[in-house]
Amino acid sequence: MFALASKEQSALPGFRVTLAYSVVYLGLIVLIPLAATFLKTASMTWPAFVEAVTSPRVLASYRLTFGTSLIAATVNVVFGLLVAWVLVRYRFPGKKFVDAFVDLPFALPTAVAGIALAAIYAKNGWIGQFMDPLGIKTAFSPLGVLIALTFIGLPFVVRTVQPVLEDLEPELEEAAVSLGASRWETFRRVLLPPLYPSLLTGFALAFARALGEYGSVVFISGNMPMKTEITPLLIITKLEQYDYAGATAIAVVMLIASFALLLFINLLQKWSLQKTRG
Amino acid sequence: MSIEVRNITKRFGSFTALNNVSLEVRSGELVALLGPSGSGKTTLLRIIAGLEFADAGSGQVCFNGEDVTHRSAAARQVGFAFQHYALFRHMTVFENIAFGLRVRPRAERPAESEIRRRVAELLKLVQLEQFEQRFPSQLSGGQRQRVALARALAVEPKVLLLDEPFGALDAKVRKELRRWLRELHEKVPITTLFVTHDQDEALEVASRIVVMNEGRIEQIGAPDEVYDRPANPFVYNFLGNVNLFHGRIHEGLVHLGNTAFAVAGHDAAASVPAIAYVRPHEIKVLSRPNGVGSLPALIRYVNSAGPLVRLELERADDRGPFSVELTREEGRGLALQPGAQVYVELKNLRVFADDYSI
Repeated sequence: MFALASKEQSALPGFRVTLAYSVVYLGLIVLIPLAATFLKTASMTWPAFVEAVTSPRVLASYRLTFGTSLIAATVNVVFGLLVAWVLVRYRFPGKKFVDAFVDLPFALPTAVAGIALAAIYAKNGWIGQFMDPLGIKTAFSPLGVLIALTFIGLPFVVRTVQPVLEDLEPELEEAAVSLGASRWETFRRVLLPPLYPSLLTGFALAFARALGEYGSVVFISGNMPMKTEITPLLIITKLEQYDYAGATAIAVVMLIASFALLLFINLLQKWSLQKTRG
Repeated sequence: MSIEVRNITKRFGSFTALNNVSLEVRSGELVALLGPSGSGKTTLLRIIAGLEFADAGSGQVCFNGEDVTHRSAAARQVGFAFQHYALFRHMTVFENIAFGLRVRPRAERPAESEIRRRVAELLKLVQLEQFEQRFPSQLSGGQRQRVALARALAVEPKVLLLDEPFGALDAKVRKELRRWLRELHEKVPITTLFVTHDQDEALEVASRIVVMNEGRIEQIGAPDEVYDRPANPFVYNFLGNVNLFHGRIHEGLVHLGNTAFAVAGHDAAASVPAIAYVRPHEIKVLSRPNGVGSLPALIRYVNSAGPLVRLELERADDRGPFSVELTREEGRGLALQPGAQVYVELKNLRVFADDYSI
């Protein structure tokens, strides 16, 4: 850290070059476009800004977007852990295929996923036709949004937990069992704690992805203002109406909120890493 | 508690890890399972612990005469220590040791104060009192293994099973821990079985040694017994340094080059190839032939550092190399120079017909 200030000789040279590169790169790719968003927003007056980001329709979309994103990330933590567990600990025919399937939500164009999900969960779709008589409306409801966001977030949890799980020696479980621990106690006290940091990372990634998701949601949500309209769609709508400042204003709010949440998760992760050091 | 293993067989695919093994360990004994890697010693230990199960229909594991073959590891009440400790990294030393007590069903779980007392007692036993709030990553290898042992002892096991307990430690710490383990066993005399591939460790620590090879037991006996009277060439080779002399057995005599030595137990053999085994310290070096039976040899190398004088010699007839250890006293009267011709007397010769594959 102090190598920048002092001219001490280091066994790991290249700090300055790599730091300079990182700063330039991050600046070009991340910071400058984001700064442009803020600049564009700054062209609005303060009352106009407040008006743009707090209208009832916008507030409803925040609630939907953040709410479903949080729930979807939580669902993914539970089931992603389960999938990772099965992939790491058991051998079964077709395991390689299942492993490859996990990455599909990464690779699939989100619009394709959205159309497929909408078709399946619509009233006359494969799954929707069974849900509808039960009074559960999936497509064109917040539940549909949740399904789409869960779909696209799954790989994040699986792929962050999997390597950590692979590193946990089976001897830990054997030690716990030989000490008389039940299966549940072994899971709760021995396996889960070392996984917390990676579960949090997976959660943060899935959550961040869900916040920004647009393509798959618009097909399944129905996009009804106040009900199933997500914030990214609202931004697109404003752009289509040539209301650039209004669009960037909402974007800025989303950016700040996401940043605050991700920072909080990162701090949480750092704290849990300290607890599970070693 | 005594352990009995009867006719246990275990295969992994086409590999036979244990081939019809039977073993009895008396209550309170400290027994070493000694063998090279792949000899099945760890598999046997894990089957006794219930972490692995023998092939269906192959035999029994009994504790105190009670059949536990199908009982789970948790129900067997054994303490198990792993080569790489398997400590819970996210728990302090204290919590690691307390683990076995905390996971008991509510009705049997000791009160918090009782847990504290027990853990403190165990920390004292393994001499780690001041480390209770440390994490495993902040301890040395030897300390970690002691924590692992304390953790295993916390549940008051009937049997203690240690898988290569000192295998991952450096030589000096290993030596200290060997003595420590023996002392621990005197203080807490529970039946203990430990796996090792280190013959010195087995000879020094155990009250009995089980020598294993290729899924079978080769010999069981007290350390001096297996060292002085190995049952077969494998045990001879595996325990301690040994010299091999190739020759022939004929009517009760073993012929090594032009010299014949009388050996017991081979009266009927008629000229079969044989290998004679002699330990380096069981060879006497002479400056001239003794008249009854001594081999001529050439000194190749002399190392007199330390309490013993070590010689590398070469037989004069077939140039076969062998080594000798002399005390300094014995070496004093001899002109021990590389290249000098000497004669050796073989004091404790064990001969096996050369049909035994090692």
